[in-house]
Formats: sequence, C-alpha cells, structure tokens
Amino acid sequence: MSSQSPPLGASKKGRDIFKLSHHRLSVEDVVAAVGSASCGAISLFIGTTREDQSESGKVIGLEYEAYEPMVQSELAELCRRLRARWPDLAHICVHHRLGWVRVGEASVVAAVSSPHRHDGQRALVCLLDGLKANVPVWKKEVYEDRKASWKENAECAWASCHGNHDAQTMIGQ
Amino acid sequence: MCDIPSCLTNVCVLYFAKSAELSGVREELLQVDTPINSQDLWTRLLGLRVLQGHVVLAVRHQYVAIDDQEALTLRDGDEVAVVPPLSGG
Repeated sequence: MSSQSPPLGASKKGRDIFKLSHHRLSVEDVVAAVGSASCGAISLFIGTTREDQSESGKVIGLEYEAYEPMVQSELAELCRRLRARWPDLAHICVHHRLGWVRVGEASVVAAVSSPHRHDGQRALVCLLDGLKANVPVWKKEVYEDRKASWKENAECAWASCHGNHDAQTMIGQ
Repeated sequence: MCDIPSCLTNVCVLYFAKSAELSGVREELLQVDTPINSQDLWTRLLGLRVLQGHVVLAVRHQYVAIDDQEALTLRDGDEVAVVPPLSGG
C-alpha cells in the first residue's frame, strides 16, 4: 500500500505519505519525502527490532501483519489531528514493514518536517504514540526455538497491559 | 411505537494476528441480523474466548467496542474485522 494525500487546502500544502512494505525500509526515502525548502527541521524516528531475551531464548525476528485499508484511514486521521494541533507542520511520512523483519532491521521509519524544530519534535512523539495506540498493525516475536508470541502495545486501549507504558506483555500462548 | 425492522445481511469477517490463529481462518462470510449489537455479533465468532476483554471489532474501518449498548447497522458486503491488541510501530 502506498498513499499520498492531496494538498490540504489553499493555505496548506502539507503531504501525508504512508507506505507498508515487505522490503527493507529506506531512511533516505522517508527523509526525502518530507523535505521542504521552507523547513528548518526534519524530525526522524527509526524503530528497530531488538534482540530481546525470553524463556524461549533470544528473539530472532518479528513477523508483522496489518489491516491495510484501515492503516490508511487511521494514519490519515492521526495526521489530521497532528496538523490541527501544530498547524505549521509541513510534511509527514510513515513507512512501516510487513512480513519478516530480522533483528537489527528497521520496522518503522517516521519523519515530520517543520519550519522550526519544536513543533516537529513534539508532533513526532504524538505520531508514534498514536501509531501504537490506533493503527491496526500487529507483530509477533519469533524466538530461537521457533516459538512465537503476539506483542501488545501498552498504548492500545484494549491491551492487557494498557496504562503501563514501560511494559509490553505476551498474550496467551 | 414502531419497531426497527430486522433483516439478515451478509458480512465478511476478517481475522488478524492471534484471532486468525485461534479461528484457523483469515476470513469468513457470515449471515447476521441487522441491526445487531456488537456483543451479539461477538457471540457468533467461535473459538476466540481467550481474547475476551482484550479485543475490539472494526466495522467499515471504525473501531467498535464489544458491548450490548449500541446497535450496529450492517450492510451487505460490510467488512467486520476482529482486532486483538495492536502492536505496530
């Protein structure tokens, strides 16, 4: 899925660019997507796959899946809220992996451009919080012994660990 | 006083993540009453008991809590997604 929204109106020319990909993400592509001559700042986040330990041994990778049409609509709504809160934002870009992601690889790359850094940095934090809370993507940790478990974001309102923002827990094996 | 007329409609249930593993399928066609509350709709989905309390539905790409409070008006061909806790980002 690849999406680019039209300009928001006569006085707003911000782009919201989303992409789900089964291939390695390019940080350069995401940065290029938000570049703008009017911006003094690009705020960038790269989420990478950690080599966590569990009773089943080391994590060897993550498997991602998504409800793709609804990823599109939820990200669009999220960007609408970000732009309402920070009207000076220029462009927003999110690229997210699907399928198998090895330890060390990027699973999400997100960038926001803005005239000055404060708005962009704050918007980026909210973008990531919103992504984790509302965008229908799921990841399964796969371990050395080939066992696997579905993760839950604490930000998600119906997660069993909701409210504990430092924890992610496994759902029933 | 008028009753809201009830009829049957065909929806496509989509299963994701843990719910797909529990149900054994990625999607299925279901004939349901409309209007229907989400609690009654949930009882039609078998094998998902372990998710109880930590799952929502998405109807026409809008999240819907599973309760008996609000009647959903479903249309022929609507997608109903089973949404376990999210873990994107």
